[in-house]
Formats: sequence, C-alpha cells, structure tokens
Amino acid sequence: MASLTGVSLKLTPLSSSFKPTQVPFLGVSNVNSVSFPSLTMRPGSFRIRISCAAKPETVDKVCKIVRKQLALPADSSVTGESQFAALGADSLDTVEIVMGLEEEFGITLEEESAQSISTVQDAADLIEKLLEKKGA
Amino acid sequence: MNIRCFPRKFSSALPPLVPLQLPSPMETHLWYILPNEVKSVALLNQYSELLSPCERENVNRMGGDQLKKRALLARALVRTTIARYQTNCQMNPRSLKFRKNIYGKPEVEWKNDDNFSPPPLHFNISHTSSMIACGVTVNVPIGIDVEGKQRKIKNDIIAFAQRYFSPCEVKLLTAISDSEIQRQEFIKLWTLKEAYVKALGKGFSAVPFKTFTIRFKASTIRCFHLPGNSVSEASEVIVESSDDPKNLPNNWQFALLEVAASHYVAICTEKDKIVGGEANRPMKLTVRKTIPFVEDVCVSGTDAVLVLGGIIEQ
Repeated sequence: MASLTGVSLKLTPLSSSFKPTQVPFLGVSNVNSVSFPSLTMRPGSFRIRISCAAKPETVDKVCKIVRKQLALPADSSVTGESQFAALGADSLDTVEIVMGLEEEFGITLEEESAQSISTVQDAADLIEKLLEKKGA
Repeated sequence: MNIRCFPRKFSSALPPLVPLQLPSPMETHLWYILPNEVKSVALLNQYSELLSPCERENVNRMGGDQLKKRALLARALVRTTIARYQTNCQMNPRSLKFRKNIYGKPEVEWKNDDNFSPPPLHFNISHTSSMIACGVTVNVPIGIDVEGKQRKIKNDIIAFAQRYFSPCEVKLLTAISDSEIQRQEFIKLWTLKEAYVKALGKGFSAVPFKTFTIRFKASTIRCFHLPGNSVSEASEVIVESSDDPKNLPNNWQFALLEVAASHYVAICTEKDKIVGGEANRPMKLTVRKTIPFVEDVCVSGTDAVLVLGGIIEQ
C-alpha cells in the first residue's frame, strides 16, 4: 500500500520495541526483515513521523481487545507489529475485533479500511485518525 | 512438537497421489483435513517440502505450533488437491504456482506453454482451528467457508447482526428465542455470507454483508434420477439484494452442510450458464476426507455429511 501510514509503519515499530513496557519478542519474529541499520540501535527518540503514529495507550488497548477475542495465553506476545493473521485470527475474528474496537473507541470503521488493517499498529493508527477527525 | 518449516536438501519418496477426473460442470468436489488427525512430524515435514519458499516463510511467521501446523496443512491441502486432477500432464504439487487476482483472491498460475492448455479449474479454501477445507469446481468460481459448530461469539449476536447483517437477517435472528439455536443460526448465516463474498472474489469491502440477504426458501424439486420421478421437499438457499429484494441474483447456488458432526461448511458456486437447463438443478457434490499421501475417504452420503440447505445431490 502506497499510503503514508504504510511508510511510517516500517519505521515506528523499531523505536517502539525499545519501550520498557513492551514484551520482548518470543520465538519466531514476525517483523518483516527491513534493514535500517542506522535506526535499530537508536531508542525512542529517533522516529520519522510522516504521519502520526498512534499513542502507546491506544496500541495497548487494541492489544487487549485482540487478546480477548483470540483468547491468547497470557504469555503470548502481542505488540504493534503483530499481524492478526499470524495470531490466528480468521475472518470472523477480525470482524469481531473491529466491532470491539468500534465499541471501545466510539468510532465506525468502514469495510474498506477494515480490510486494509493487517497489524495491531494499523488498527491503532486508523483509530487515532478517526478520533482526530471526530474531535475536529 | 517442534514444528519448523525448513527446506530439505534431499527429497524423501512420497507415494503418488491417486489421480482423479476433474469435476463435471455443476459438480463440486469438497476436500477436508482434520488437523487433529495429522500427528506425524515426519509427514508434516514432507508436506513442508511441497511448499514454495514464500509459503514456508509465511508458515514460520505464524505464532505457535498449532497455527504453524494449520497454515502448513492449508497449503499442503491446496497443492495436493489441485495436483490430483491430472489433465494432460502429471502435475507435481511442488511445482504449482499461485498468484492473487486484482482483488486478492488466490488462483493457480498455470504455465504458459504452447502444448499445455490449462484446465478450467477453480478452487477456494477455508480453515478453522479444527478443519481445513478446499472446494474445487470447473468453469465457474467457488467460495467456501468453514466454522466450528461450537464456536462462541464474543460480541452480542444481535448487536453484531445489526452492525453487519441485513435488516431482514436481523429480524430473522431476533425472532429466535433460544440463545443456543440463535448462535447456531448466526454461524450458518455467517458461513453462507462469507462463501458468497469469496465466490464473487472481489473482497469483503466490494460486497458489504449488509447489502445482501441470504435466506432459506422451501422448494419442491423433481428428482429424475430416483425411481418414479419422485418429488421431494428441499430447502433452497437464495441471495437477494437488501435494497432491491425483487432483484434476485439467481446465478448463484449454495450448499450448507454439517460435516463430521462438528463443522458448518457453506459452499457457493456460480451456475454454469452453458449447461443451463431447469431452474432448480441440484448441485452435485462429492465430499472427501483426506490426509494427503496417506488416505482419502469419500464421505458423501454418509453421516459425515448432513445437508442443511441447498438442493444437493451426493
């Protein structure tokens, strides 16, 4: 996807993975191997903001809803770059998650945008965009 | 069980797949695997040899052994199923190539050879944690969806239906007072709607669930092949536009099955215009349970396949 949100996704997860509250990756990494050697060693301060990435609280809320829907064990890793499909979400799970997000944040997600969400970060970014529009 | 897909340098001998004739027009073949029945790590490793490097990568990306196994079995099922339909050449499951159409629907990428005419084969897969299924047709597109009968819905069913289903469907579900029956009817409706959208192949957003209604209609059909031309009552599944109910897209036919006493399976195929004929032609259906390279069991007409809707001939 050639959207701005798409571009920012590649960069922000690298910085968010250094946040102390994040659970470190367990087992197989599900981060696409994009090598930005100059960025990996920098903690949270280095962040190219092409579009506004979601607040950590929003990402956390999304993670919680995803965990609940998929009944994931407490020790399983769910972070911003977790892909719904890789967590085991099928189409009904995805729609239930979208509905849960709509209820939690008081927004409506159109089918087109719901279809373009593949990671937790995607969902969080979209939610904040809609909340911003609402607030404006 | 530590499952990890890795390419093997040598290939262990696998028994050949039993070759099959393509389905005839208006016929659907349904194949399914029950992952719990596949326990051999050696067999799973052999399946992983059939996958492309890209597919193996996708399998490894899944979180946890069970999800990896499910993803692996899904790819193995698609590859081995399509390879069974020998047309004019021996098809190797490993050498099949896949691509997505402009809407993202997976299809086979046949090799562009002068001597080779690709078979008019269509397929669609669906999986839940406890069943992986693949439907195959010729000439016409197919969509299938599988859900476990016991699946619990986390949201309130009526709230969910009001958000995503058509007003007609909400009315039908609301009228069901027993919550367990309501849940079951919800899941059946979901699988039928999913199967329709997948058959159309344009993605969830092109045909939002709210814009169409699926319902059952009592139908009398004449069974010419049974002695005495007997007439039997069957329940036809129809789809109509929410805004314009009289505009019935009647070129689609559905099957709703209960398979292995544990799953609802919905199948949607386009009616073959070339074959034509009477309006309520049954869908010929052959259902097989498989563990590729180990066993294939035809379960059509047995207790393993219960027809809940649609005019089906097994």
